[in-house]
Amino acid sequence: MKMKRKLAVAMTMALAGSTLFSVPTQAEEKTKLTLWHIQTGTMASCLENSAKRFMEENPQYEVEVVQMQNDSYKQKLSMAMSAGETPDIYIHWGGSSMIDYVEAGQCADLTEFMEKDNYKDQFVDAGIEQCTYDGKIYAMPVENISVAGIFYNKDIFEEYDLEEPETLTELEAICDKLVEEGIAPFALANATKWTGSMYYQYFATRKGGLEPFQNAAAGTGSFEDEAFVYAGEKIQEWVDKGYFNEGFNGMDDDSGQARQLFYTGQAAMDLMGSWFPGTVLGENPDFIDHVGFFPFPALEDSEVDQTLCVGTVGDNLYSISENCEDKEGAFKLLQSLLDEEAQVERKSFGKIVPLKNFEAEDELTQEILDTVNAAAGIQLWYDQYLPSEVAEVHKSTSQEIFGNLITPEEANKEMQQAMQDYLAKAE
Amino acid sequence: MQTGNSLVKKREKEIRKVSAVFLIPALLFIAVFIIYPIFNSFQTSLYEWNGITAGKKFIALDNWKELIGDKTFRKAFGNNLIVMVLSIVIQMPIGMALATFLDRLGRKGTVFKVLWFVPMLMSSVAIGYLFKYALDANTGLVSTISRMFGGKNIDLLGNPNTALITITVVICWQFIPFYMVYYMAAYSGLPGDVYEAAIIDGATRSQYFWKVALPMMKPSIKSAIILSMVGSLKYFDLIYVMTGGGPGDASELMATYMYSNAFESYRMGYASAIASGMFILITVISLITMRLINGKEEV
Amino acid sequence: MKEESKVKKITVKLVVWALVLFWCVVSFLPFFFMVMATFKEQFELLMGGVFKLPEKLYLDNYIEVFTGNIWNYLKNSVIVLVISLTVLLFISACASYPLSRFKFKLNKPIYSLIVACMSVPIHVTLLPIFLMAVRTNFYDSIWALIGPYIAFNLPISIFILVTFMQGIPKELEEAAEIDGCGKYRMFWSIMFPLVKPGLATLAIYNSVNMWNEFSFALTLTQSAENRTLPLAIWEYQGQYAMNVPMIMTVLVVSVLPMIIAFIFGQDKLIKGMMAGAVKG
Repeated sequence: MKMKRKLAVAMTMALAGSTLFSVPTQAEEKTKLTLWHIQTGTMASCLENSAKRFMEENPQYEVEVVQMQNDSYKQKLSMAMSAGETPDIYIHWGGSSMIDYVEAGQCADLTEFMEKDNYKDQFVDAGIEQCTYDGKIYAMPVENISVAGIFYNKDIFEEYDLEEPETLTELEAICDKLVEEGIAPFALANATKWTGSMYYQYFATRKGGLEPFQNAAAGTGSFEDEAFVYAGEKIQEWVDKGYFNEGFNGMDDDSGQARQLFYTGQAAMDLMGSWFPGTVLGENPDFIDHVGFFPFPALEDSEVDQTLCVGTVGDNLYSISENCEDKEGAFKLLQSLLDEEAQVERKSFGKIVPLKNFEAEDELTQEILDTVNAAAGIQLWYDQYLPSEVAEVHKSTSQEIFGNLITPEEANKEMQQAMQDYLAKAE
Repeated sequence: MQTGNSLVKKREKEIRKVSAVFLIPALLFIAVFIIYPIFNSFQTSLYEWNGITAGKKFIALDNWKELIGDKTFRKAFGNNLIVMVLSIVIQMPIGMALATFLDRLGRKGTVFKVLWFVPMLMSSVAIGYLFKYALDANTGLVSTISRMFGGKNIDLLGNPNTALITITVVICWQFIPFYMVYYMAAYSGLPGDVYEAAIIDGATRSQYFWKVALPMMKPSIKSAIILSMVGSLKYFDLIYVMTGGGPGDASELMATYMYSNAFESYRMGYASAIASGMFILITVISLITMRLINGKEEV
Repeated sequence: MKEESKVKKITVKLVVWALVLFWCVVSFLPFFFMVMATFKEQFELLMGGVFKLPEKLYLDNYIEVFTGNIWNYLKNSVIVLVISLTVLLFISACASYPLSRFKFKLNKPIYSLIVACMSVPIHVTLLPIFLMAVRTNFYDSIWALIGPYIAFNLPISIFILVTFMQGIPKELEEAAEIDGCGKYRMFWSIMFPLVKPGLATLAIYNSVNMWNEFSFALTLTQSAENRTLPLAIWEYQGQYAMNVPMIMTVLVVSVLPMIIAFIFGQDKLIKGMMAGAVKG
């Protein structure tokens, strides 16, 4: 072992010697802060602008804003953490991974900073809640209030004289009508997996509320609860009735294969997070006027609250590394991501920042905001709430349910098993 | 007698010395960047570790026990074998045919060579996107063509029965140019007058190919088969880009399964067990195959 | 009889050329559509699909790419490729020589070890190599890439070269040995030239590999200034959507140097191959 390590050093040294280029840059007096994010396009420049403003006001800092790729972000971050190279500020999605980071000593406690001058009161309560673990605040919700809801093509609804449904029965009637007309009711690209999982989450939430899931994840309940059985069965019923476009399990949402059907009128609706208008603005701006929104309809005979939403308040949460040498400075930088200029900029890209003072300027955003405000609670995405290894099982079984590859009972049993295995190991 | 003996010894000593000088640079690189990491992976496979925390929990062979009973891993291994067989069956003959054609055409074949080589140059990301669009059940090329002939939409990637085979065909498409170039080099290694001698002896072109050229290229073909085998058994790229192993685990490969365990499920220990298992499986398979196809011949 | 064989000959020819053209279409069409996609705006691609010709020659994608960081990425890629490839080809030729020519005790074990190294899945090595790079302060520099790039292409290169060298007749060397030629000179002046076709194949194969390599580049660099070309598409891959025309533009721009190098290089390669072919 030791020999080999020495060998490695010798070898890399030899390489360095032969290249002569690797002269280390001279030590800088400025404090350097590194920030990792996964925004692209105009949103990435918004972050750069915030950092620039921060540096102008605080010239003792030098900020490096590093854009990472979404797909490989978790890999990159976990490696950096295992080598003690965690960036000063990094994003994550809350839920189980935040707990992992906290317990690994990678995530600084921000409670003191957040409570100073009651700063945290500016945020939507659900957002702060999502950043809290064990009574301490570990992150700041920055990007977006993203709840899932149904976006629809207004032209198609007008053409066939359809109205926004309030109950699932009404929605199903609409779907039947659309199937008759040869239009796919829902655009779905489910090679991405979390896209189909949203249907599962909503059905389960409509049927059983928040408790069945919370209990199942805590080990006091079970994924074989009737709410989950209902979710799986409903999905397969919808698939059989042709409510989704063909070939969904082979299509990729990121590269736009579902939106392509939506834009071209081959599909009428898309169950998607509320980042959807922002995406439309980015890739097909003229189309935004044709997009309508309604919350996931209610299940009539259910006893649980039907205003519950599935989603996240914050989307990307920003945390500070425990190893960061100037946490106060890093926190100031974080605040600059949501200063007034940034708020204006973010709004113009269709984002709903998780601040209480946020006011919508267009109808679509207002409708989404109303849905969130009316919600009795928000179910965090299963795949972020659950421990990563169980989340992977959930995503994969929900895809298999969609593909009619397993029965809902088998899927739920597999989930329950995965959850139990995880809990057994954690003890 | 004695002097002869010491001469032989001297020679052997010299060979040992020369061999060492020639081999050491390569072995150094391999030791640092390949052997040390795989050794490390065997070590990590004995721990329960999420890849983030400083502390690992020693669990001895638990990961290995899990691996042996793991349905998904077995499925992935089976899928790898399918990719392997299909790759060899598709890539070898087509690569050889293209090389034979280009070899006969000589310099006049440059245009074809460049055109045919393009797939190899494209990055897997580009290939992945293009074929995803081409295979889209609603708007893709395949479905469009099928509809033109009055057929239905065809869903290849979303169908668990066809997803793996479809991607394997794309993989072959990408790698055929490599075998083409490889066999062209093999052709140019044939002694120059063999072809003329054969033709003078009255052989037809096809006789020359089957009776003379092909047998002479046997060692190259064997190596190509091993290369294709190892490549398919540790394949990752296009599966990751196109289906991520889905639907379900229909197109899961050992490498994609390991990746998702390591960096999506945060099970570094178990992922290391998968990787080490893969390493053992592939090494054993390739060494046995080499033994088998080389038979009694000298290596 | 003669007529018949003539007809047969023509049919064979027709079939061959039909296949040749068919393969041209199959090989080239995806690249063609990839280039076409770069002339589209995002909504145009999403509305009309990838397989429609662009409505007009829309060049903004290229302008955006060329005014961005691409030149820096290109520079990094070229440096890494040139150094890694040169070292790789040289040391793999060196290592293949004794393995294919000499009889010594460790020959077979070493050869088997090298074959075994071909089977190492790359992703498991990322973490150890990353930690190594951090400890040696090479993390986040292009120099960190060179070692892994050489090492991971070595086993295959040696494997291929050994096959090639074994196919080369031993007579020349035997004659040289009688003339009192040393082993080192024998390698340089006899073996090295003869193995050129094999080296040419390897040069092509390895440069494509290194040029498109993603995993190590992702793991071992951080800042934008130290990234190589395959990472350039990040700027257009968002969390929920990606800008496909821009990605295709970046990829076309990335592959162009390789295509140009291949067009010019393959002529030289053939010459090399001809020179390498054993006369007699």
